[in-house]
Amino acid sequence: MSKFLKKLKKRGHNSTEMNLQITSMADIFTILLVFLLKGYTTSSVTITPSNDLFLPTANASDAPADALKVEVAANGVQIDGGLALPLTQYKFVQTDLTQSGTSQTLTAIFEKLRARQLSIAKNNTDVKIDSKMIVIADKNTPYSTLKTVLASGATHGYTDFKLAVVSNK
Amino acid sequence: MSSVTQSGNKNSQDFELNLASIIDCFTVIIAFLLASTAFLSIGIFDAGIAAGAPQAQSLTPPSVQVAVEMKSNHRIEIKVSGKTTRNLSLDQAGEQWNRDDLVSRISEFKKEWPELQSVVLSADNDVAYHEVIKTMEKMKGQIQFVMLGGF
Repeated sequence: MSKFLKKLKKRGHNSTEMNLQITSMADIFTILLVFLLKGYTTSSVTITPSNDLFLPTANASDAPADALKVEVAANGVQIDGGLALPLTQYKFVQTDLTQSGTSQTLTAIFEKLRARQLSIAKNNTDVKIDSKMIVIADKNTPYSTLKTVLASGATHGYTDFKLAVVSNK
Repeated sequence: MSSVTQSGNKNSQDFELNLASIIDCFTVIIAFLLASTAFLSIGIFDAGIAAGAPQAQSLTPPSVQVAVEMKSNHRIEIKVSGKTTRNLSLDQAGEQWNRDDLVSRISEFKKEWPELQSVVLSADNDVAYHEVIKTMEKMKGQIQFVMLGGF
């Protein structure tokens, strides 16, 4: 800085006031702002997987619709953000499984959710019974675990499965 | 917002725009957007509509049903039932499932039975979810609906 001031004095400038040229900075910021606003999602539905959950990658462009969110991770199953059932390395507790391959705990939760949806639909004709279920499963989930979750949901009418993936488009 | 500096000449139209406050606003907005933007875009794979859904009720049952099963030894079994019965087994391609062969078989089925719109995909218990998704992705190019099965 002192060298700069000396240079200024040599040139005959006695003033130490500096004018910062911020026009170019404003240009950069405008471009950044436009870029970020373009990429900003306006969808009302947000899917935020847990930190330790890695979604599979696929070429899927369908936007997520509002539906029941079921997250399957190595340490548990979450339904609509709340822990429904703990798992041990993607495995269900053997006593929780039924002969038909469903989970008793999950089936009970899905039953409760379905009953609530039915009672709302009964009192409000605008509300329709929804069969959609967004499955946010870790990419290493064994198919047996996924089958159990899907079968448990299907027993109470959640049959329209939407699988969340990281879009590579 | 803007400060007009009339240096000497009163009729001068030159003025200096004070950009500092604009920069302040931009900094705040950019910081907010950077913090809240999801850089991973999440897509949705439709795993088909099972019999209970209203959309499925209007559909007439297909004349042929095709079921694809991913085996843990990287083999793929295709079972065709309905007006014809066929059982095919696709050998593994290296250490992977032979998805390219599967896609060409599905394409052949589609030519043979143009009314074929859906395939049921299932896998062995220990097959990882991302492998199932990869197979679904490949098949989606050939067939409209890929439904998950095996339960």
